[in-house]
Amino acid sequence: MKRKTIIVLFTVALTLLASPLSVLAEVPYETYNYNYYSECIKQPHVYIYDETYTFKGFERPLKNPRDMFVKGDLIYIADTDNSRIVKTNTKGDLLMEITTADGKDDPLSKPQGLFVTDEDHIYVADSGNGRLVEYDERGNYIRQIGRPVTDLIEEDTVYVPQKVVVDNDGRIYVTAYGINMGLLEFSIEGDFRSFMGAAQVSVSPFEYIWKNYFSTKEQRARMATIVPTEYSNIFLDSSNFIYATINNLTNADMVNGADAVRRLNPTGKDILRRLGNNPIIGDLYRSEDNKWSSFIDVAATDYGCYFLLDNANGKVFAYDYDGNSLFVFGKNGNREGNVMNAVAIGLSPDASTIYILDYQLNSILTFSLTDYGRHLLDALRLNDMGDSEGSIREWTEVLRLNSNNEFAYTGLGKSFLANGEYKKAMEYFRNGNNKKYYSKALYYHRKELMEKNFGKIMAVLAVAILVPLTVSAVKKIKRWAGEVKCDMSKN
Amino acid sequence: MRYVKELKYGFHVIFHPFNGFWELKREHRGSLAAALTFVGIFIMLTTFEKQTTGFLFNPVRLKDVNVVVDILTVTMIYVLWCVANWCLTSLMDGEGNMKDIFIAMGYAVLPMILIRLPMIALSLGLTAEEGTFYYVFSYLSYIWTGLLVFFGTMVTHQYSFKKTVLTCVLTVLGMAIIMFIGLLFFSVIQQMITFCTTIYKEIRF
Repeated sequence: MKRKTIIVLFTVALTLLASPLSVLAEVPYETYNYNYYSECIKQPHVYIYDETYTFKGFERPLKNPRDMFVKGDLIYIADTDNSRIVKTNTKGDLLMEITTADGKDDPLSKPQGLFVTDEDHIYVADSGNGRLVEYDERGNYIRQIGRPVTDLIEEDTVYVPQKVVVDNDGRIYVTAYGINMGLLEFSIEGDFRSFMGAAQVSVSPFEYIWKNYFSTKEQRARMATIVPTEYSNIFLDSSNFIYATINNLTNADMVNGADAVRRLNPTGKDILRRLGNNPIIGDLYRSEDNKWSSFIDVAATDYGCYFLLDNANGKVFAYDYDGNSLFVFGKNGNREGNVMNAVAIGLSPDASTIYILDYQLNSILTFSLTDYGRHLLDALRLNDMGDSEGSIREWTEVLRLNSNNEFAYTGLGKSFLANGEYKKAMEYFRNGNNKKYYSKALYYHRKELMEKNFGKIMAVLAVAILVPLTVSAVKKIKRWAGEVKCDMSKN
Repeated sequence: MRYVKELKYGFHVIFHPFNGFWELKREHRGSLAAALTFVGIFIMLTTFEKQTTGFLFNPVRLKDVNVVVDILTVTMIYVLWCVANWCLTSLMDGEGNMKDIFIAMGYAVLPMILIRLPMIALSLGLTAEEGTFYYVFSYLSYIWTGLLVFFGTMVTHQYSFKKTVLTCVLTVLGMAIIMFIGLLFFSVIQQMITFCTTIYKEIRF
C-alpha cells in the first residue's frame, strides 16, 4: 500500500518535471537581420504571431480581399471578389458593409483598394467600374471620380484604378493597372491634374547605342523592352509623403540594388533615405525557391520606420528612417501563423500590432510586439523625438537582450556623440560597424586631443625642427673652424 | 657593419634605380641577407597591416585574417616571380643569375615598407573625408615598387625597354604555369598516396 503510493507520487513528480511549466507557443518563423557584411544574423523575435481573424461570423465570409486600411482598432477591408467594402473591428464584428455606389442599381465591382481619411471618409478604388467612389463616415455615397480626362492615356487603354490615397490637402493619388507613368494625381474637385512620381528609367549609354544602332530588328524584339516600373502599392505617412512600392523588378534590377520602395514628396521626388549598408530590396539573396522579395504593401510609423510586406516569401521587412534594416520576420506556409498570399499590411497606432491581410486565407493575421521589439522601436522613436537619455536607456536594453544588434551600438554611439563622449562613441560605432559616424566621432575626438595637448605637440614639433637645424649648424661651424685651422696651419 | 651598410644601400637603390641596381650586381654593394631582410620585414608588415590598420581604412574582417596564409602568399609571390623570371631570362640571354634576381627583387620591396609602415599609424588618425591621402600613398607604394621591379629586371639582365616589358609579361605567364604544374603534381601525389594506402589496407585485412 505504502509502496504503491510512493510509486504513484514518484511518477507524478517525474511527469511534472518533464513537462515545462509555462508553455510557450512556438513561433512558426524566424526573425533575422542583415549585418554590415550582408550576412543573415538571427535575432530575438520582434513580432510574434498572435491570432487570426477569419470573420467566420459574417453572413458572407471574405472572398479574396485585396486591400485593408487599419485606423485605430477599426479595420476596413476591400473584399474584392464579393465586390464590397467591409468595416470591422478587432473583435471581428461586422460594423458596416458597402456594396453599392449611388443607389441600388449601381453596385461596386471588384474594388481593389481603399483609403480612409482623417474625417473617416472612405475612398474606394472601384476597379471593375473604372472609378473612385467616396463615402462619408456612415457609408453614405458622396461622389464618384471617373476616368481621367487626358491625352496622356491612350483611348483604348482600360482604366483600372487599384490603390488610392488622399493627402491632408485633399489631393487624390491613384495607381492604375498598366499605367507606368507614375501616380495619377487628382485635385480636391476630382479633376485629373498630372502624373506624379514617375518611375525613372535609366538606360546606360552602351545599352542605348547597342539597342538603337547595332542590333537587328529580331534582336530588338527579343530584348526586354525598357519600361518604367509601375507602383504596386502606396501609403500616406503622417507627414503627407507617399511611400510607394515597386514589385515588377527583374533579376538584374535586384542584383544591382534597385529601388523597390520610394518615398515621394508632393512634387513627386523620391526622398527616401538610403544610408544603410545594404540596398532596400528585402532579402539580399534569392530564397530557396529562387525568388526575390516582391513588395506588395508598405506601412510606416510616425517616426519614419517602415514595414514592407513581401508577397513572394510572406515576409515583413522593417527599415528605419535612414534605411537601415531593422528586422525581418514571417514565412509562407501552411502552419498557423504563416501566410499563403499576403497582400496588405496595417499597423495599430503605436505599432504594437501588425495586421496582415491574406488573399488566399481570406483572413487577417495579427502579430504582436515583444519586449525586445518594444525597446527597439521605442529607442528609434525617442531618438526621433530628440530624447537622447531615453534612447540611451532603450538601446542599452536592446543590447542586453541581443548583443549582436549592430544597430543598437550605432544608436548608443549617436547618443554618446551628441553628449560629447567621443572616445566612447568611436568604440560603439566600431562595434556597430558604422564607418560614417565613426569618422565623425574620430574628427571630434582628434580635435579634442589636439586642443588638450596643443602645448606638447608644439614642443615635439619644435624639437623635431630645431634639433636637426642645430646639429647642421654645429657641423657647419666645425667645418668652418676646421678650414680656418687648415688655413692657419698652412700659414 | 657590412650588413648595416648593405641595408642602408637600399635607400640609394630606390631613389637611383639604374645606378643602384647596377652597383648591386656589379660591385656587390648589396647582399642576399639584406634583400631577404627586406622581404621578411615586408611579410611581417602585411600581416601586421591587416590587423592594425584603422577601422575606417581596413577592409579586412579580423575574423577572416589568417597569418599563415598571408605569410605564404607573399613568400610564394616573391619566390615564384624570381624563379619564373630566372627560368625565362636564362633562355633569353639575361645576364643575371638566380641570386642577382633575388637580391634585386628584395631591394625593390623597400618602398612598400617605407610608405606602408607609417601609413598604419596615419590610418588611425584620419577621417573618412581625408581618406584620399591614405589612398594616394597606398597607390604610390604599389607604383613605386612596380617600377623598381621593372627597372631591376632591366638593369640586372641588361635588357632593352621593350624586352623587359616582354619578359615581365612572360614572367607572369610563367608563374601561372609553375603554379598549374605544382597543383597538378600535388593532386597526382595525393592520388598516389591514397592508392598506396588503399592497397596497404586491402592486403592487411
